[in-house]
Amino acid sequence: MGDRRRHRRLAAAVTVAGLVFGTAACGSGSDSADSGDPNTLEVWTRSNPDAAATYDRVFAAFTKKTGIRIDYQPVINFDQQLQSRASTKDLPDVMINDTALMGSYQSQGLLKPIDPASIAGGGQITDKSWSSTVGIDGKHYGVPYSRQAQTLMIRTDWLKKLGLKAPTTWQEMLSVAKAFATRDPDGDGKADTYGIVAPGSAQNGYAAWWGASFLWQGGARIIEPAGRGTYRPAMDSAAAVNTVTWMKDNLFCGAKSVLQPGAITAVTATATNFQDGNAGMYMTGPYNITTFDATLGKDKYEVVPAPAGPAGGDVLADGENVYLGAKTGKDKQELALASFLVSPEGQKIAMTSVDGHQPVVRIPVNSTLDAAKVRGDARWSVVQKAYEDASQQFPNAPDFAPIKQDTADSLNAIFTYCGGDVRSQLRELNDTLAGDLKDQDLLK
Amino acid sequence: MTATLPAPAARRGLDEKAAGKKTFDKRAVVPWLFLAPGLLLALVFKFWPMAKGVWLSFFDVRPFLGDRWIGLDNYTRVLSDHRFQDAIGHTLILGIGQSVGAILLGFALALLLEGQAHSLKILRTAVFLPAVTATAVVGELWRLMYYPTSDGLLNSGLHLFGLGPVQFLDNPNIALYSTMAMGIWIWAPYNMVILLAGLAGVDRSLYEAAAMDGVSLWQRLRHVTLPAIRPALMIVLTLATIRGLRVFTEVYVLTGGGPAGSTDVWMTRAYTLGFTRNDIGGASAASVVLLCVTLLLTVMVNYLRKRGEAR
Repeated sequence: MGDRRRHRRLAAAVTVAGLVFGTAACGSGSDSADSGDPNTLEVWTRSNPDAAATYDRVFAAFTKKTGIRIDYQPVINFDQQLQSRASTKDLPDVMINDTALMGSYQSQGLLKPIDPASIAGGGQITDKSWSSTVGIDGKHYGVPYSRQAQTLMIRTDWLKKLGLKAPTTWQEMLSVAKAFATRDPDGDGKADTYGIVAPGSAQNGYAAWWGASFLWQGGARIIEPAGRGTYRPAMDSAAAVNTVTWMKDNLFCGAKSVLQPGAITAVTATATNFQDGNAGMYMTGPYNITTFDATLGKDKYEVVPAPAGPAGGDVLADGENVYLGAKTGKDKQELALASFLVSPEGQKIAMTSVDGHQPVVRIPVNSTLDAAKVRGDARWSVVQKAYEDASQQFPNAPDFAPIKQDTADSLNAIFTYCGGDVRSQLRELNDTLAGDLKDQDLLK
Repeated sequence: MTATLPAPAARRGLDEKAAGKKTFDKRAVVPWLFLAPGLLLALVFKFWPMAKGVWLSFFDVRPFLGDRWIGLDNYTRVLSDHRFQDAIGHTLILGIGQSVGAILLGFALALLLEGQAHSLKILRTAVFLPAVTATAVVGELWRLMYYPTSDGLLNSGLHLFGLGPVQFLDNPNIALYSTMAMGIWIWAPYNMVILLAGLAGVDRSLYEAAAMDGVSLWQRLRHVTLPAIRPALMIVLTLATIRGLRVFTEVYVLTGGGPAGSTDVWMTRAYTLGFTRNDIGGASAASVVLLCVTLLLTVMVNYLRKRGEAR
C-alpha cells in the first residue's frame, strides 16, 4: 500500500514539474519585438479609441516629418498596464498622461528628467506651464502638453426665463441655484429641476477634484510648500474651515434641490443631470463642451468664468504632460517627438476634430496659439483665460494620489453628516495628510 | 471561489498486486495527465498569482526600482487602519445579512417553484435571470430604482402610500442595507437552483407518510424537508459565506464604498489601496488576511458538516 502511494506521489511530482517548466517556457517568449530599433518609439496615451484616432493623425504627421516611426498604444487602464511593464524594466519610450501623476511616477523612478532648453520651441511654453512639471528635486520631469481649467456651464434659456444673470460670486450662484430649483425654469409645472450638479463621491477622489475650485476660491490649500522640497498639510486653516463649512451648509446640507439628487454618491459618469436637462449649473472641465453641444444643444447653455469666492475666482487646472520613460536609450528621438508635440503644428493637429473624433489638446501649451481661433469657437477663450489668469493645479511634485483620496474621503464624510463638526473633522484630515506626506519623506 | 481538485480515485483489488513491484506505474500517471490541462490553467491563473500576492504582501512594492522587503509592516498598517477596521464591521453585516437573506429567499423560491409543470419551468428561468446578468448592469438598474426623488421607481411606489422619498443610497444609515437588498436579489436565484436540486432528491414517500400522520405544513418543513436537504443547505451556506466575505462588485458598482465610507467593505478598501493609492504591497496584505479568514471559515464549516454527518 505504502509503495503504491509513493508511486502516485512520484507521478504527481513529475506532472507538476512538467507543468512548471511548460509555463516557464511559455512566459519567456513574449518580449516586445521592436524595442531595440532606435528609430521606432513606443508611445502610450491614456485614450479611448475615439481620442486615439486623433493621436494617430498627430503621430502620422510626425513620422512624415522626421522619419521616426511610432508604435502607438492607446491604453485605457494605463496605470495597471504601466506597473506591469515597469516590473519587466522595459518602459514605453514616451507616455502622455495626467499632470497629477507626475509625482507618483517620479517617486517610482519611471521618468527621465528633461531640460526645457532641450525642447525645440520650449520657449513658447509659458513659465506657468513649465513650473507645473518641476519635481521634488527641482528638475523637470515632464513637458506640458495640454491644459484645461474648470469653468461654469450654465443654462442661458433658464436664466432668460427667470430674468436672471449669470452669477459672478458664490452668493449670486446660490440664489440662482435656488431659483432654478424652485421657480420651475423648464415650465412643466413640476418641481423637477435642480440648481447645481456636484460629483460629490469619494470614489477616485471626485469630491476633492470638484471641491478644489471652491477651496482655491475660499483661499484654502490642501497642502502647501514649506521650503526645500518639503510640504505641510493646510486643511485646518481658517480659510479651509470657512470654505468647507460654506459648501456644507449651503450646498450639501442646504435648501432642497440646490444640488442634484444623489450628489453625495455621484461620480462624473453618473452626474449627468446637466446634459439630461434637469440641472442648471455645472462647474467642470471643457472636455464636456462637445458632449453638451450634442446632448443639450449649443444654444441652450453658455460657458462662463466660475463665480468668485471670498479669496478670488481661481479654479482647478489640470491637463496632460509628455513623459519620457527612464532608461530607454532613445533620448534624441524622444526629444524630437516631444518638441513636435508642443510645436504649433503638432498642437493644432491635436486640437482639431476630423470625422467627429475628439480633440486631445484642450488649451494649447504653446503660447503662440489661441484656442478659440484654432477651434473657431469663442467659448474656448473663456477656458483659456481661466487657465492663464485664474487657475491653480494640484501640487504635482509629491505623489498626490493618496492626498487627493484622503481629502475626498474626508470632504465626502463632512458633506454626508450634516450634524458633524467641520473644524474637528478637518483637523483629523490634516493629521491624515501629515501621515501621507511623512510616508513620502516630504513632511516639514 | 475555492474549487477542490478531485484526487484520482484509488483503485484497489486486482491492480494492487500487479502494480506492486514496478518503480513507475503507468496507470498512476494517466489520471494526472488527464488533469494536466486543468491543473496548468489553475496554476497559471490561480495559484501562481496567489503565491505572488502572498509574496508581495511582505514588500514595499516598487516595480521599477525593485521591491523592498519590509516584513510584516504592510499587515500592521492594514490592520491598524481605522478605515479597514470599520470595513470589517460593514463586511460582516453585509456578508451575513446578504447570505441569510439570499438563502431564505432562495429556499422560499425553491419551495414555490418546485415541480415539473411547464409554467414552472418558464418561471424558474425568469427568476434565475438576476444570477446570470452582469453585476455592473444590475448595479445600474438598482441605482435607477433607488433614485432618491419621487421619480425613482421605489420612491414613486412609496409616494403612493404617502411615504418618502427615501435616500436609499445617500443616507449613510441606509446605504448598506440598500446594497444588501440588491445582493439578496442577485444571489437568491442562485441558491434556489442548488436547493431545488436538493428538494428533487427528497424521498416522496416521506411526504406521503407525513400527510397520513396529519402533520402541519410547518412540521413537515421542519422534520422532513429540512433534514433531507441538509447537504444542499451546507453547500449553499459555504458558498454564501465565502461570497459574503469577499463581496466587492455589488458595492463597487452601487455606491463605491460611500457615502462617508458607510458601505466600504474589506475588498473595496483593498482595491482603493492598491489602485488609487498605488500601494500594491498593502493591498496584497489586505487580500492575504481575507484569504486566511475565508480559509479558516471554510475549514470550520466543513468540520461542522462532517461532525453533523457523523451524528
